Amino acid sequence: MNPKSAFVNKYKDLLKELEAHEGLAAMFADSAADFDSAADLEALEAARVKHLGRKSPLSLLLRSIPDLPPEERPIVGKYGNRARAALEQGLADRKKELEGVELERRLASEQVDITLPGEPFPRGHLHIITQTQWEIEDIFAGLGYRIAEGPEIESDYYNFTALNTPEGHPARSLHDTFFIEGHEDVLLRTQTSPVQIRVMEKEEPPVYIISPGRVYRRDSDATHTPMFHQIEGLAVDQHITLADLKGTLETFAKAIFGAEREIRMRPHFFPFTEPSVEIDVSCMICGGSGCRACKHSGWLEILGAGMVDPNVFGFVDYDTDEVQGFAFGMGVERIAMLKHGMSDLRMFYDNDLRFIKQF
Amino acid sequence: MKVPLSWLKEYVAVDLPAEQLAERLALTGTEVERVSRVGVPAADGNLERFVIGQVKKKAAHPNADKLSLCEVDVGGKVEQIVCGARNFKEGDKTAVCLPGGMLPDGRKLESAVIRGVESHGMMCSEAELGLSGESAGIIILPEDAPVGTKLAEYVPVSDEVLELEVTPNRPDCLSIYGVAREVAAVTGAELAPEPVDDTQARGDDSIDELVKISVADGRLCPRYGARIIAGVKVGPSPLWLKARIAAAGMRPVNNVVDITNFVMWTLGEPMHAFDLAAIAGRKLTARRAGKGEKIVTIDGDSRVLDDSMLVIADEEKPVAVAGVMGGESSEVTGGTTDILLEAANFDGPGVMMTEMALGLRSESSTRFEKGLDPELVPGALAMASRMMVELCGGRLVPGQIDIYPRPRQELAVHLREEKVTGLLGIAVPAPEIVSILESLGFGCRREGGAIHVTVPSFRADVEREVDLIEEVARIFGLDLIPPTLPSDMRVMGGLSGYQSAERDIVQALTATGMNEVITYTFIYPDFADRLRLGDKDPRRDCVRLANPLSVDQSVMRTMLLPSLLSTIATNLSVRNQDVNIFEAGRAYLRADGEKLADERRTIGGCLCGSLRGETWTGGGGQADFHTGKGIVEAAFASVKGRFSVESCDEPFLHPGKSAYIAVDGRRAGYVGEVHPLVLEAFDVDRPVVAFEILEDALIGSSAGIVIFEDLITFPGSFQDLAVVVDKKIPSQDVIDVVEAAGAPLLRSAHVFDVYVGDQVGERKKSIALSLEFRSPERTLTDEDVDAARGAIVSALADKLSAALRE
Ligand SMILES: [Zn+2]
Repeated sequence: MNPKSAFVNKYKDLLKELEAHEGLAAMFADSAADFDSAADLEALEAARVKHLGRKSPLSLLLRSIPDLPPEERPIVGKYGNRARAALEQGLADRKKELEGVELERRLASEQVDITLPGEPFPRGHLHIITQTQWEIEDIFAGLGYRIAEGPEIESDYYNFTALNTPEGHPARSLHDTFFIEGHEDVLLRTQTSPVQIRVMEKEEPPVYIISPGRVYRRDSDATHTPMFHQIEGLAVDQHITLADLKGTLETFAKAIFGAEREIRMRPHFFPFTEPSVEIDVSCMICGGSGCRACKHSGWLEILGAGMVDPNVFGFVDYDTDEVQGFAFGMGVERIAMLKHGMSDLRMFYDNDLRFIKQF
Repeated sequence: MKVPLSWLKEYVAVDLPAEQLAERLALTGTEVERVSRVGVPAADGNLERFVIGQVKKKAAHPNADKLSLCEVDVGGKVEQIVCGARNFKEGDKTAVCLPGGMLPDGRKLESAVIRGVESHGMMCSEAELGLSGESAGIIILPEDAPVGTKLAEYVPVSDEVLELEVTPNRPDCLSIYGVAREVAAVTGAELAPEPVDDTQARGDDSIDELVKISVADGRLCPRYGARIIAGVKVGPSPLWLKARIAAAGMRPVNNVVDITNFVMWTLGEPMHAFDLAAIAGRKLTARRAGKGEKIVTIDGDSRVLDDSMLVIADEEKPVAVAGVMGGESSEVTGGTTDILLEAANFDGPGVMMTEMALGLRSESSTRFEKGLDPELVPGALAMASRMMVELCGGRLVPGQIDIYPRPRQELAVHLREEKVTGLLGIAVPAPEIVSILESLGFGCRREGGAIHVTVPSFRADVEREVDLIEEVARIFGLDLIPPTLPSDMRVMGGLSGYQSAERDIVQALTATGMNEVITYTFIYPDFADRLRLGDKDPRRDCVRLANPLSVDQSVMRTMLLPSLLSTIATNLSVRNQDVNIFEAGRAYLRADGEKLADERRTIGGCLCGSLRGETWTGGGGQADFHTGKGIVEAAFASVKGRFSVESCDEPFLHPGKSAYIAVDGRRAGYVGEVHPLVLEAFDVDRPVVAFEILEDALIGSSAGIVIFEDLITFPGSFQDLAVVVDKKIPSQDVIDVVEAAGAPLLRSAHVFDVYVGDQVGERKKSIALSLEFRSPERTLTDEDVDAARGAIVSALADKLSAALRE
């Protein structure tokens, strides 16, 4: 008998009772020890056949009951069956235990190479211009602006004249314009501001819109592509001030370039705003201390803006005594380039997948 | 506009370093592109090494015929210098660079032994000092030049130059004096009076006897002023003038031309000098050119004019394109003695259209095009006359032409203080407003809460109250404006339904693994041929650019496909695999009537290769028609829209593997494998599946808001059904029959397998469907489902002769 057997320990009380019959206790202890020591399911099965099979001493003993003297029969019957039940239970427990061990062993042998890449689910990329444009749109949407769109093939009137840039205006020479064959007064819009005129023609103030889209200028080098994207904004309401313009664009600059950014306004000239300003943002590369990107000034120009010129309101029949407004415009590519450290504009339109998939 | 600092300082007592001045100007509205240095480098005391010297002795070099050996007094010291020039004699004064001196081109001069003789310095030519191209001889200075003095104190051979980017509304800043005025206003430095001192006319003749001038087009020529300087001696300008002209970025020509350029640069009024003797009939008219009339301009080019252009013409021919460029025939030359000096005012838009038509721009036309102040004319004539008399030995002929029929009216503008506050969002005190405007040359008189402002003639850009407010704002300081947000915004922001749907579609496409591209909308005109479009195909009728950059970018695309195929070709050429791309862009069709063009928002895509690249887990597989259709389905699903397909005969697609996409029976696009001949025409050597969908139709197909349907409370019943039909019957026909017969309990029917082969016979195919039956009101019984299934089976037999597959 092995006193340390877990099995025997568990059935300590039963064992004591089994001592009522000479041999039964020893038989039980013997079986229990074999079950306990079975190292795997195969050994356990062999032990089961040996101790609980038809030819096992216990089975033989139980089957011999009718041949026993009558006074022994109830003792052997009672304790023999109890021993059998206990052994069967113990066997089942031990089997579960060994199965558990077996499972762990199998799982341990099934190791995969966790460093191989995962199942590749396809994921396409939005063009970085679109990503940037959406980001800008969302910022202004959050500030209460709607998004207005308009035609790219535009009339001279909307692109220039109604924006206070009549024929012969010197500012026209700043735009190298593509014209449409067969129509002297039709062109590819050089800015998205004509959309603002179209909106103001249709709607009464207050107007808070941004107009994103493709624009065209006849110029092509590392810093100019003949097609590019602009987002222009317009706010017309009763008491819009230059201070509101500054605050709006400061909010925008912080939202897109980081909360620590600052802006400054420099006076400038645009035909459709008065006063006109250019907006610089503190350099996000050097933090304002000066670097090559900002030409050591600490500032980067990001957009042009100003208070809507009363002449423009005249073209859309807005009462300049009732409303005033601001307008601003920026190049989406420029914002993307500053944000992502790009230097060659043309890459946007090469559409090389190696470029597109970076973003 | 190049502004040499030493020139600027002649008119304004500013003592800021160039960089700080540049910053101050930038923040008040005058952009400074860069600060550069011209002439002799100034760093490390280099200017000390350039002095005025006097040749004391000139002898032949003992070992070289062409060199001379000189002793040069450089101020308290005589240096031995070997020189190759021949244009000087003993006693001449010149510019000497001493050993250690660095020349403008970066060369450093050291003492040297030249042909066996020591040389301790160099006598400099104009070219060596960066003053002109003159390199044959050394500079000969006037006799009164003080020997030993630093050259830079005598002639501006070294200068810092502010390169200004002047906005088109401020032509007054295209002049040194105009910039000086601006500098005075923004720094508070004192401004010198305008340098327009006149000279005394001499002689008994008068200009009216010598020339007749008239203006035939007063709109294009509001003012024409002229004077005659007689008896000039045309020759090189004095060194200081050459230095000024060179520092301004121009090339010295001769004293007469240099003076006109100097006056233009100083005052901003372009001038022209005619050789009076070359003016036929001694008559000049400012008139429009005749159509086809010709002129050879002083750059030597012959130019054909038209009747929109103003010329200055003598009796026979144009002698100048007014305000743009003079003509060769009356150009001032070495033999010229009498000068007709022109200072005029030409119409800005007129000059601009002329220069654009001729493709000719000059320092003169770039000023006139912006609209110049007519009041510049008398001052320019005075200044130029005085300089010509002083520097060319001429005589101002009495009298002056000044045709100025409609003199400028003085303009006064009312400026309300509350309007300043209302526009800027900050209150600027009235005394400050007045002092700002006065510093800029405006006249101010306070009247109650307003200021009565008179606008100086050189500020034609200021006409209204708002223009004055801008002047106040920029000098007051934009940095003082507080950042605020609009208050009381009674509007709603955000994307429209259409715009949101557009984003949903684009995102659905990227979710399939496709990448977005953005391509130029103008393309090559032969795209239609490459796509095999028929002769009458409306997509051949492009909107064309009148002035494209190149033929390859000369027409607006009528479809996205060519842009996409070209993008695939360029990607394949750099060995990018699996080029699956889409664009959300526009196609442009000609439109009749009011619309300028029909700009169709279009989603187009091309699949070339696999959406799931080859990896160790497998994957791969070339995209085919049904991959493309799956993408289209994903696009429609993203907006909960529906479409159907129709057979398709697009010439650029595979005839058996292409379909039109239809929404509510209206054609809305196509999907299909691209025809191999088209691929060849686009240099694409791998199969491509393409699609284009009109965005309006796609978004319009949306069912809108989803109405709830109970799919949970009562379980559905699922059945499979396999039917054998004729091979040619489209699966959609089978679905249509099944859906019609299975209604209302049949909720959906999907094809999950198609079999063609021996088991069903040669002309047949088997289609396996999974059917879902469901009622929103109850759990279906077996009898319900059996009845519905029976109806489906018999309808299939009736309508499509379909048999159940055993
Ligand atoms: Zn920086």
